[in-house]
Amino acid sequence: MHRADPDTPFSEPEIYDEVAYAYDGTLEGLLSAIFAAYERHENPTDVVPESHLQPRLGQRVAAIPTNMNHAARVLRGVKRACGWRAAHAVKQASCSDEPDAGTAAYRFVRYAMDEQKLRACDRCRKRASCKGRGGTGPCPKMRGRALSDITHPAVERLFRISRSISQECEHMRQFVRFQHLRGESEGGGTSTEVWFARVSPKASVVPLVMDHFVERLGVQPFIIYDEVHELAGVYDGGDWHLVATAGQGDLAGALPDPTADEALLSEAWRAFYRSVSVGARYHPELRRQFMPKRFWKSLTELQESPASLRRPTS
Amino acid sequence: MNVIEKLEVLADAAKYDVACTSSGVQRSGKKGQLGAAHQAGCCHSFTPDGRCVTLLKVLMTNACVYDCAYCVNRASNAAVPRTAFTPRELADLTIGFYRRNYIEGLFLSSGVAGCPDRTTELMVQALRILREEYGFRGYIHTKTIPGTSLELIDELGRLSDRLSVNLELPSKQSLGLLAPNKSRHSILTPMRHIFESVAEDKESRALAQRRTTVYREKRMARKTRAFAPAGQSTQMIIGATPESDYQILNLSAALYTQLSLKRVFFSAYLPVVADPLLPATDAVQLNREHRLYQADWLLRYYGFNVSEIIDEKNPFLAPDVDPKANWALNHLDFFPVEVNTAPLEALLRVPGIGVRGARLILRARRQSTLGEAELRRLGIAYKRARYFITMNGAYGGSGIDFSRDALHARLSAPIEGGRHGRRADRAVQGQMSLFEAVDAPPVLPEASPANRAALDVAFEAQRRALAQPAAIGAPARAGESERPPILGADTSPAECGGASQEGAPHGDAVCEPLLSVA
Repeated sequence: MHRADPDTPFSEPEIYDEVAYAYDGTLEGLLSAIFAAYERHENPTDVVPESHLQPRLGQRVAAIPTNMNHAARVLRGVKRACGWRAAHAVKQASCSDEPDAGTAAYRFVRYAMDEQKLRACDRCRKRASCKGRGGTGPCPKMRGRALSDITHPAVERLFRISRSISQECEHMRQFVRFQHLRGESEGGGTSTEVWFARVSPKASVVPLVMDHFVERLGVQPFIIYDEVHELAGVYDGGDWHLVATAGQGDLAGALPDPTADEALLSEAWRAFYRSVSVGARYHPELRRQFMPKRFWKSLTELQESPASLRRPTS
Repeated sequence: MNVIEKLEVLADAAKYDVACTSSGVQRSGKKGQLGAAHQAGCCHSFTPDGRCVTLLKVLMTNACVYDCAYCVNRASNAAVPRTAFTPRELADLTIGFYRRNYIEGLFLSSGVAGCPDRTTELMVQALRILREEYGFRGYIHTKTIPGTSLELIDELGRLSDRLSVNLELPSKQSLGLLAPNKSRHSILTPMRHIFESVAEDKESRALAQRRTTVYREKRMARKTRAFAPAGQSTQMIIGATPESDYQILNLSAALYTQLSLKRVFFSAYLPVVADPLLPATDAVQLNREHRLYQADWLLRYYGFNVSEIIDEKNPFLAPDVDPKANWALNHLDFFPVEVNTAPLEALLRVPGIGVRGARLILRARRQSTLGEAELRRLGIAYKRARYFITMNGAYGGSGIDFSRDALHARLSAPIEGGRHGRRADRAVQGQMSLFEAVDAPPVLPEASPANRAALDVAFEAQRRALAQPAAIGAPARAGESERPPILGADTSPAECGGASQEGAPHGDAVCEPLLSVA
């Protein structure tokens, strides 16, 4: 959509086609849907994962098949024209559980690409040496700009989604708690060990935090299992990959036993947590603000000690 | 005692150390080694008092030969069981916790078992096991003990990311009185040494990177550790002694400018052991501590000068409005600020606009003109900011008198919070209630008459103790005057000549800061 007059950005109402694009919920699916909008010369009202799709009255639904080549092209284009930050924000939006995250990403890409076309090169001092001369390529001056126009309705939503995903990632980095599990012994008699963490985040952020944990805990194979999105990030000591566990049933029974020192160290951590608090400064609402209650069920320090380790308190 | 019991005792003894940060150093992970450090740090848990747990904060031992009046581990306190970690136990515990993502690293402090050097050697042993044997790349914060030899501090600095020396109390007199085994000299010497070592290390690293010939510099296969790359911090107790906010803030400004400290922490005094020289009150001065931290942030991030925040005539920060709002109320001629054109420095002066908000404004206004709706969308505290800004010429706070009193009433209205915990019985100051008698305005516990009286009794006792030449503090101070002055800029002849020992009345002039702004 080209705006007639760039000086009055909000005056003209956007007109959308009465069509919803349904994609498979992955990043590649979302990018394919964005590609399809350009390919079909349509401006869809909604771009949503199939699972969240609720067609509006009289709305046509187009199921968009995921195409890896198209996805790669869109991602490369966004990165080239709008900078890596914008591309990262789009990636984050694809992890969000918000029903309008796909639409927000699509609207942003549409807006950012249009902004690229609207630029005025004639008074630019670098126009002689610029690669994007004559509106044919990306303009380096415009690259980061689209994402920083935060108050524009097309950017604001994506900005907010991106920020909430970043926050959820930070919560994961803070509150993931690993358990040391014994693992099954292999043929040679050596037993494999695995460090296991169970999380239930508000968005599917496991793919976004795996790099962080691989960097710092690279010496131990681990699994971060997202119960809500039924997705496990598995690190085997060399590389990490994602495993979708939908339809496999509850995995709790399949877990091996914890190692001998697991109970001891988790109890030590609980003891530390109990004794490090200063009673005279008791301020539970502050704690709840920093550490929301939804995380408490997976936090070792807030669980009851097992009866065998409990000591009588005087 | 097993390890868990030891941990309980030694964590309990360390909990009054307020510093718990894992920030200031960025270190990537390495194949085959455990750990990494992130510039912004990471809080892994929060205790019921709302403070974060980012490091395993423990003492090496809580046995201590020092007898500091305010400390739970003082030698004369028989109620505390004494114990110590072996270096191996501590290192194993750290690794075990780190692997489970409980912590970001280790915060190691210690009581003084025997002599400072002996204790520090134990700490060095533990850190060596962590860094060299286990190849741990996580964060380590070490507290150095006053009186440790500088060689051992060098060793600690190579193994830790951040070092800290506690100032404990803001003035020399109070320190001599309440911590007789520590002195200004024994605290400032290691601080200065750490400052110099960090600066020297940075400079030599910068020089080594400069290439002057065509030959490439030969790199060592094993990289040397930087000296305390995350700098140093300190902490002091607030409210145990009569120093004013003016003295405290000037001291911290001097520490930031002269010794390049990364943080100065304040710890509201909390009675842990009874002592006639200390206030016996349970009303912790949390509000005062909070205001001091706000002022500290203004110094470090908002470009305020300490003389703008506080002056000698009003030596205490206003309890009802924050220091930034207070500055704004006293400088109404600076406002209103036009958000669409004002520079960053001016935006940072507006109450309700923080560092993050100001940067967002700069970013957003390149493309669009900011009005009320846009500012709200950016997450600015518009409710507070509106009295001090214009948006494309339109004043945001119309309808309210642009005077100090009217705006003060607006800004001192409390922020609506939860109804649980500390805020539960806090009512709006001066607001009439349908159900209560009007003649009993609610007050914060720390401002209650009982609390005030307890403070006065303690400060009077301190004054009397200082006035006696043979008081507890005198030997320490007498010993100090024999040593050469360590900071040329601020050592007055009176201080070295021993004028302060002649039993001068403990008035305002006697609270001599440990360090002053040059």
